[in-house]
Amino acid sequence: MTLPASPIFRIEALEQRYAGRRVLHVPSLEIAPGAIVGLMGPNGSGKSTLLRLLGFIEAPSRGRILFKGSPAGPFDARIRSRVTLLPQDPYLMNRSVFDNVAYGLKLRGQRSDAAGRVHRALAAVGLAPARFARRPWYALSGGEAQRVALAARLALEPEVLLMDEPTASVDAESAERIRQAALAARDHWGTTLIVASHDWSWLFEVCDIVWHLYAGTVFPTGTRTFLPGPWIPGPDHRWHRPLADGQHLVVPAGTDPSAPAYIESHRLRLTRQPVTGQGRVVLKGTVLRLALIRRTGQVVVTAAVGELALTAVLEPEVLRKEGMAPGDAISVAYPPEAVAWIDAT
Amino acid sequence: MDYILEGILQAVALLASGNAETLSAVAATLKVSSVSMAASLVIGLPLGFWLGYHRFPGKRAVRTVVDTLLSLPTVLVGLIVYALISQRGPLGEMGLLFTLPGIALGQAILAIPVVVALTATAVESMDRQLSVTLRSLGADRRQLLLSTLWETRFGILAAAVTAYGRVMTEVGISMMVGGNIKWHTRTMTTAIALETNKGMFAMGVALGLVLLAIAFAVNISVSFLRRRAR
Amino acid sequence: MNRFFFRFALIAVWAGILFLTAGAVGAQQTLMMATTTSTDNTGLLDSLIPEFTKDTGIELKWTATGTGKALKLGENCDVDVLLVHAPAAEKKYVADGFGINRRQVMYNDFVLIGPAADPAGIKGKTVRGALEAIRAGQQIFVSRGDNSGTHKQELALWQAAEGPVPEKEPWYVQTGQGMLTTINVAAERSGYTMTDRGTYIKYEATLNGNPPLKILVEGDDILLNQYSVITVNPTRCPTVKADLAETFSRWMIGERAQNLIGDFKLLGKQLFTPNAAK
Repeated sequence: MTLPASPIFRIEALEQRYAGRRVLHVPSLEIAPGAIVGLMGPNGSGKSTLLRLLGFIEAPSRGRILFKGSPAGPFDARIRSRVTLLPQDPYLMNRSVFDNVAYGLKLRGQRSDAAGRVHRALAAVGLAPARFARRPWYALSGGEAQRVALAARLALEPEVLLMDEPTASVDAESAERIRQAALAARDHWGTTLIVASHDWSWLFEVCDIVWHLYAGTVFPTGTRTFLPGPWIPGPDHRWHRPLADGQHLVVPAGTDPSAPAYIESHRLRLTRQPVTGQGRVVLKGTVLRLALIRRTGQVVVTAAVGELALTAVLEPEVLRKEGMAPGDAISVAYPPEAVAWIDAT
Repeated sequence: MDYILEGILQAVALLASGNAETLSAVAATLKVSSVSMAASLVIGLPLGFWLGYHRFPGKRAVRTVVDTLLSLPTVLVGLIVYALISQRGPLGEMGLLFTLPGIALGQAILAIPVVVALTATAVESMDRQLSVTLRSLGADRRQLLLSTLWETRFGILAAAVTAYGRVMTEVGISMMVGGNIKWHTRTMTTAIALETNKGMFAMGVALGLVLLAIAFAVNISVSFLRRRAR
Repeated sequence: MNRFFFRFALIAVWAGILFLTAGAVGAQQTLMMATTTSTDNTGLLDSLIPEFTKDTGIELKWTATGTGKALKLGENCDVDVLLVHAPAAEKKYVADGFGINRRQVMYNDFVLIGPAADPAGIKGKTVRGALEAIRAGQQIFVSRGDNSGTHKQELALWQAAEGPVPEKEPWYVQTGQGMLTTINVAAERSGYTMTDRGTYIKYEATLNGNPPLKILVEGDDILLNQYSVITVNPTRCPTVKADLAETFSRWMIGERAQNLIGDFKLLGKQLFTPNAAK
């Protein structure tokens, strides 16, 4: 990914404290317009806080966020209804689906083509306006309510759409509709998408960048590959994470079983040839995606290992030598002693 | 027991014949309770909203005080208001003693804690997500406030009805501050107290039934409004 | 549209009710009087005051309480004139500078009443003998206990009977309420009590002339209940309408009011005897 000269968000020395406790600390970060940013991390790691700050729902305790180059805060007329957040639990007001979706337009005082926008937004999330527009708010399933809540944001044609676990508690169809609607917004209006999710398909198939949050600190995926928990103690005095296909991620024992471990990307060996142990942990996987980091010339390789997708940053010559392409079966090998724990203090 | 039956018959007769004394008491009750309700809503709603909406140190203590004031004895309010508006009191020059505005002042003091406490509870019990949702959809400060008020309208309506009930049925303030002056400050409740004092139990029951009928009409109106608003 | 119409109609109906029931407030001069429950409960003022207004154009509002509170209202400058019946307290009141121009208007008398069976056997006795019999028999005696004129009168009777006021005796019941309530309590407990005759006649009337409590002792000089009118002292209370109060005071002792008082009857019985100084 390139970082163009004018980022849509620029975070400077951001810090958020609740009741004196620091829950988020981001020294510096930029987000490019039109990017799709994934936020991953355990519950309580600060994802929702970061989303609320970027959505200008709350003000930071310290530091500032620049929107398109100038500092912005809650209730700024400049960002209202251009940056919109879809919270984790959809909250619909006691009114019809149509009125819920039209609410943001009403707040903005936009009357022209309101009905058209509402209908298009409903259609975008896969809810037929003719069937759903007149329904009362309480006559919806959980997935439908979440889609109505998303439609209310899409009706605003936002420049930034922040989504907090948009598919965490909905059925597969709704999850797919939500994903497609969000991507369509990016395609139509160049909307920047920032998504907090535990959903791997979101994070590694849709997002351009994934940031890992742990204990209020943001770790951009770059030269490090994150090995997410939860961990259980294994027989070899190391910690294991059993994967769905029976393989185990193995790391040295740490202090917090929910913490993510990481490994410097150059210590992670991706190869098409089968490799043997020699003290290393070897996992079988499949190449999902290759992406070029234009600025450095490196390539981001996303490999499916069990239900995880591990992202490694490889030097282009390594990749050329291996001749990797999506769909290839590969081995992922690393010396467990190269794995380190995030120091969150 | 007889006087209860007799009271029911008398209530019908009083209302049907348009008995001037009864109508005067009904009018006094409606006037004074409307004024006191308007005042307590104007003062109590913003306070209650503020109390329910914001988190601040000492909030629990303030809530406890307000909740305690919910059970303010009406005679105590009557006594305090009398002390305030008596000619010898600090507000004596306003000439409020033995007037309907004087009663309304006392009743407003009675009703404000009810409005504050119930409004605060309604706002507190409102989904925290509402505020996030409204702001994420682009509400400015004013829209946020108004929309939140609007979303809590049923809770606020309940607060108003409860306060109205308390105001309309109280007797201590009306008696002490109003003086139960015939044609002027005699309300339904002081009239009932007087008739009972005079041993006219049936008349007391009749007036009580009239009061109940008014309360019934108010509640019917409110639930009607509420149904229409769905 | 429909919704709007219904709301509008509802508001209109309530506004209409408020408007129709709103009585016009006259721009007359008004005088504020504190009086005792006995003058109000018997209906005397209801028949007397409209005549006063007719004669003078002055509107008179009154609040009926115990004599103690009535005197206090005057002391606090909250009323202009008093019509009360506690001569000793009134004289002290005037002497203390709270009131002026105390004029005797009328009297009624007190009676001792009790159950028809008369367990203490007080019928026909003097007040002193009757109270001694009640004390000796430990019979229920119900007192107003509210510092009203009637209550003060009752306390004076006990003192005249040369015994302590039986304040703490289990048979001595203090209601702290008005005269009729107190009579009703006495009836419920089958006890004795002292009441002004006017209230008793009223009580008799509400029970269709056959009450459970009967007059047992009457006519004793000590049972005389003198009503006076007092103007609240305008030098202490600048807001007091002393001129209107004086008009009322003089009207009350005038021939017309005195005749009206004498003619006021309940169930064919005269309640008050006018006795203004000529």
